[in-house]
Amino acid sequence: MPVSFNSFLYACGEAWSNLYRNKWMTMASVGVVVVTLLMLGGFMVVNLNLNQITSDVREQVEIVLYIDEESTAEEQEQLHSKLLAHRSLNEVRFVHRDEAMKRLKEQLGDVVEGYEGAADNPLRDSYELHTLRPEMVGDVARELEGYPAVAEVYYGEATVEKLFAATRAVQLVGLGLMTGLAVTAVFLIAHTIRLTVFIRRREIMIMKYVGATNWFIRWPFVLEGMFIGALGAALPLGAIYYIYQASLEWVMANNLMFLTLVPASLIMGELVKCLLPLGTGLGILGSAFSMGRFLRV
Amino acid sequence: MVEAKGIYHRYDKKGKDVLIDINFMINRGEFVFFVGPSGAGKSTLFKMIIREIIPREGYLKVFGHDLSGMRQSRVPYLRRNIGMVFQDFRLLDERTTAENIAFAMRVTGASQREIRRRVPYVLELVGLREKAAARVCDLSGGEQQRVGLARAIINRPAMIIADEPTGNLDPDNSYEIMNILRTINIRGTTVLVATHNSEIVDRLKKRVIHLNQGRLTVDEEKGAYASVL
Repeated sequence: MPVSFNSFLYACGEAWSNLYRNKWMTMASVGVVVVTLLMLGGFMVVNLNLNQITSDVREQVEIVLYIDEESTAEEQEQLHSKLLAHRSLNEVRFVHRDEAMKRLKEQLGDVVEGYEGAADNPLRDSYELHTLRPEMVGDVARELEGYPAVAEVYYGEATVEKLFAATRAVQLVGLGLMTGLAVTAVFLIAHTIRLTVFIRRREIMIMKYVGATNWFIRWPFVLEGMFIGALGAALPLGAIYYIYQASLEWVMANNLMFLTLVPASLIMGELVKCLLPLGTGLGILGSAFSMGRFLRV
Repeated sequence: MVEAKGIYHRYDKKGKDVLIDINFMINRGEFVFFVGPSGAGKSTLFKMIIREIIPREGYLKVFGHDLSGMRQSRVPYLRRNIGMVFQDFRLLDERTTAENIAFAMRVTGASQREIRRRVPYVLELVGLREKAAARVCDLSGGEQQRVGLARAIINRPAMIIADEPTGNLDPDNSYEIMNILRTINIRGTTVLVATHNSEIVDRLKKRVIHLNQGRLTVDEEKGAYASVL
């Protein structure tokens, strides 16, 4: 695609004046890109936040291992070493029964007031364990049941399994919807650009007759596509930023602090990385490939 | 300059032949009329010369190159050496006269300076100096065809192909256009004109090639329209 400096300057000027000359078509093309990328971007925001919320919950998933009071000190020592050496565990925290009682008192207050001394404490020593990945919890818990000095292993089996299934479903549905939207965007943009090319087929035909190379003809269209795509991506980015910022402020104002939403700067970083190249790329590819039929003169 | 040997062509595999065993040779600087009824194959032949279509059989050499074997990427450079004039003018209606002509120069990568120097000269040649800034859609048919002619000669092509250039014009404008073509030819450019205008063919007394139902029936030096029918 060699192109001289004069031709490049000409292409830039042509692209600009064509955008202006066909301003209704330009606006329609930008509109299509805006709508599709706004939907895609909006869904990405929801999905990123869902991922954040589910990963927060997943982070909190842990195994509680209660120590058998009748086991020997040697067995308990053996258990401690085995837990520390376990490859799937990244956090092993011993909780003395006194500390467990203290926590219980903090949570329940007066209800447990009667248990004052160590001798009255009905609780057991335990370990709080974190696995490397939340999905490992079930397998690790079952394995730990066979360890020495173990009275009981608890990991909220039903809740955790349900949570993981829900997370997986959310991710799959999200991925499916985003792929669907992206494909729709490609078709819509390609068709809109094909329409602008169709409107100007006469111009293209004349260019071919006077000896223009295919790339000389394509360049202004490619630059136009690039501009339409970039503008079509920038507008939804701005809109999403303002809407998201307002949503964050609303969450703060209504004290919905349990909703740990992704900060606007992080969301925008992700969206800019995805939507801007997507919009620009779609514009360029849409222009370049919509022209094929009209270049065969 | 143009050599056709044993050319056959049909648009569909099962369709009828639109060109049958066409043979001729056109030398540098010639002025040739192609005449014949509609559908005789004149436009098909012109499309072959600019390599818009390739003959199914036989060969066509233009500027010494066999067009059947020419790479697609070389076609734009062939066309820069051939100025095209059409019956329906094929101009960019929303642009000015000067812009339409400069357009053909820009395609070749010409600089703005070259364009500024050459466009007024060519406008002068076709008598449209005063209309340089006028939009093409505001010009008369005759003036539009002169813009078409100016665009065809702006890159100093070795050959001009005019397909029914006077088909949409009144007699005065037709004569004017033919005069310009004759002037271009006198300066050394080969000119090929497809026409139904018998009066002009008879008056100019140039070489006439007659096509009928795809066959070349008459090829006559200093021919007349009537003599070939």
